Amino acid sequence: MKKGYVLTRLLRSVISILLIMFVVFVLVFTMVPRENIFFEDGTYTKLSGKPDEKTDYVYNTWKKLGYLDYVKINDYCLTLYEAGSPEMQTALNPDSPETADFVALYQSKGYTVDYYKVSGRAFAYKDLPIIQRLWNWFSNLVRIDTIYSVQDSNNPDLERKVYFGRTPTGGLALIGSGTYHKYLVYTDSHFPFIHQNFITLNMGESYPTYQGLEALSVMFSSQGTEVKRDVTFETGETGSSAINFGSLTYKEKLDRLDKKKFVDHYANYTTFKDQSSMVGTSFTMGIFALLLAYGIGLPVGVAMARNKDGLIDKLGMLFIIFITSVPSLAYIYIFRYLGTTLFGLPNVFTTFGPSDIRSWILPIISLSMPSISSLMLWIRRYVVDQMNSDYVKFAKAKGLNRKEIFRWHIFKNASIPIVHGIPSSLAGCITGAIITEAIYSVGGMGKMLPNAINQYNNVMIIALTFMFSSISVLSVLLGDIIITKVDPRISLTDKAGRS
Amino acid sequence: MMEIQEENLFEFAEFDEKESEHIAAPRYSYWKSVWRTFIRSKVTVALTIFLIVLISFALIQPLYSGYDPLIAPNINKAENQYLPPSSEHIFGTDNIGNEVWDVVWAGARNSIIVSFVSTAIIMVLGILVGALWGFSKKMDKWMIEVYNVVANVPYLLLAMILSYVLGAGLGPLIFVMTCIDWIYVAYFIRTQVMIIRDREYNLASKCLGTRTFTMIQKNILPYLVSVIVTYISREIPALISYEVFLSYMGLGLGTNYASLGRTISQYKSFMTGYPHLFWIPVLVLAAIAISLYVVGQKLADATDPRTHR
Repeated sequence: MKKGYVLTRLLRSVISILLIMFVVFVLVFTMVPRENIFFEDGTYTKLSGKPDEKTDYVYNTWKKLGYLDYVKINDYCLTLYEAGSPEMQTALNPDSPETADFVALYQSKGYTVDYYKVSGRAFAYKDLPIIQRLWNWFSNLVRIDTIYSVQDSNNPDLERKVYFGRTPTGGLALIGSGTYHKYLVYTDSHFPFIHQNFITLNMGESYPTYQGLEALSVMFSSQGTEVKRDVTFETGETGSSAINFGSLTYKEKLDRLDKKKFVDHYANYTTFKDQSSMVGTSFTMGIFALLLAYGIGLPVGVAMARNKDGLIDKLGMLFIIFITSVPSLAYIYIFRYLGTTLFGLPNVFTTFGPSDIRSWILPIISLSMPSISSLMLWIRRYVVDQMNSDYVKFAKAKGLNRKEIFRWHIFKNASIPIVHGIPSSLAGCITGAIITEAIYSVGGMGKMLPNAINQYNNVMIIALTFMFSSISVLSVLLGDIIITKVDPRISLTDKAGRS
Repeated sequence: MMEIQEENLFEFAEFDEKESEHIAAPRYSYWKSVWRTFIRSKVTVALTIFLIVLISFALIQPLYSGYDPLIAPNINKAENQYLPPSSEHIFGTDNIGNEVWDVVWAGARNSIIVSFVSTAIIMVLGILVGALWGFSKKMDKWMIEVYNVVANVPYLLLAMILSYVLGAGLGPLIFVMTCIDWIYVAYFIRTQVMIIRDREYNLASKCLGTRTFTMIQKNILPYLVSVIVTYISREIPALISYEVFLSYMGLGLGTNYASLGRTISQYKSFMTGYPHLFWIPVLVLAAIAISLYVVGQKLADATDPRTHR
């Protein structure tokens, strides 16, 4: 296989992902009214008595989410006068010459000028074109932490340096000051033991649900109740806390508790919790379902092909017909009913929690059913096709016995198309299973997209789409590459060997 | 007496070019053979009759039952609620005193209409685009990218946003179900067309100057009938399943339409207390979907010329 081909395919995959993102941006930003995002927002409802602050909050939120650019008269006047000066105060008034300048300037730039209801002060806003929003999103995607990352006007004396040191739990660390994260590289007792915060993916801050959390950490950080332990903070203060020191990031306004615990401005942190993350839960469930599917589907499919029109074949076909034609909603309930009445298994995941193996059995079985049936169907088809081919007759004529023919020839050839699907099925584990997870109340990824859409959480919708679509586009490419390794006869490039 | 004249006894046989080209072969009519193969199996015939009865019953019964999901006439009559199946109430009654019999058939009717209409749209659009796509290499380059994009936009996002924008109802639901699926059919047909496009008989046909459209219509599509019927037999149950899924997510038909999916998700809480409420819609759904699938598979087998004797 040529290197150039893989590169072209990679490039085309990237273009596909860009186009998918464009479609999603159009869907999310133009088809859903932008007022809807405040439905689930508590702050918004609290501001209903203060129209000016509400307007400011609304436009600031839209600006943060990338809908528009928003400029207040304050921002304009701050470039002219010092904050708090008497000129500043008069300039803010709606009838001041500065306001007239502001209006003229921003109207010439294509902004719409409006006035706050109570104070009458001016502000201007302009919708960003979709392409611009897409560009902004991608240009912020990879965040490289430098000592100039933090720009805090209230803290001008912030030191800007990088040095080696130790974390409060005793791990080695590369510590930054002026960086967004405090510990750029550090070691601790949690898998994978060496962590880095130097290059991180930034898909925006979740809004309006999971407020204050970054979209990625919603999916990847642990869930459940906090695991508290005795810790000594930087100030020498001791206490019981679930703090993850490695996650410390810059915080602009420190409160009294922060000052008690931390010596500097790095006071934002995440905590250790006792359950795996959403991605982790879905992935664990998906991997076991996949193992079960291959473990059952392949041998049974081969057995069906070997006894074509026999009893096994007919029973297997009945199973396949049942699974493909009956809606998954119906058969998941049927399996759950059988599992709970016959084997006493819990009917929801939360009864015993993720630490108990019994919680996993029924969801995994339900999840593997469609894969089992489709694997059975296809491996049977492939094996039957191979059994009728000339090389098998030749092998028989040469005196190979059935077992040898099956193991060394038929199964090898029949498994090639199956191998092609493995990367995609692995990738499918991450996206989670919507119905299975909903019926068994599993805290996985399945609910994320429907919930994000229902709660108008644009940040999550976009982050999830980006993750899912890039994984799926790339896994198709990976599948293509793997099958050329398994079967050297297959060439992905056009007419290779012929021209 | 009439004189027998030689001219009257004999006449010149004309040389018929058409007749001379005729090859003596038993008459073969494709569709007649399909029919003969199809009715050969008694089980298939019985299942087909069962399916026709089931579907026509689902289509006709709700017209006379007077069931309307917005009206619950027995909601305040406790003696009419949670009744088990009996001769008077065939499938029993539910938590608000509705006849489950009426609820199930009204839901089945909408499921069947939605899945049949959607399948028709998806197949027609998919086959037309797929046939052209498979034929034109220029188009292939572009369409494969379109496919990559359309197939990877999260369908749930599209379904949710579309149902938000278009509102709930039969038309919007059919649009939501068809707007992505056609490209899978087109892709599938494209691959099939590409396989037979370069066969010798098509090469010959091309050399003789057949137009592309005629070639697609006469040389390629007939070959695809059995493949297409197989696809349809899987698509209809799959779309019924999809409708159930969307209704379960609260995205399918609005509350003013009966829907099997919503019925099942509404009744699921009665699974332990009043199991008949949950199991009856599930079993009716399974009966419709399985018989559609099996009859479709048998029809697909019959449309494959290799099974004709």
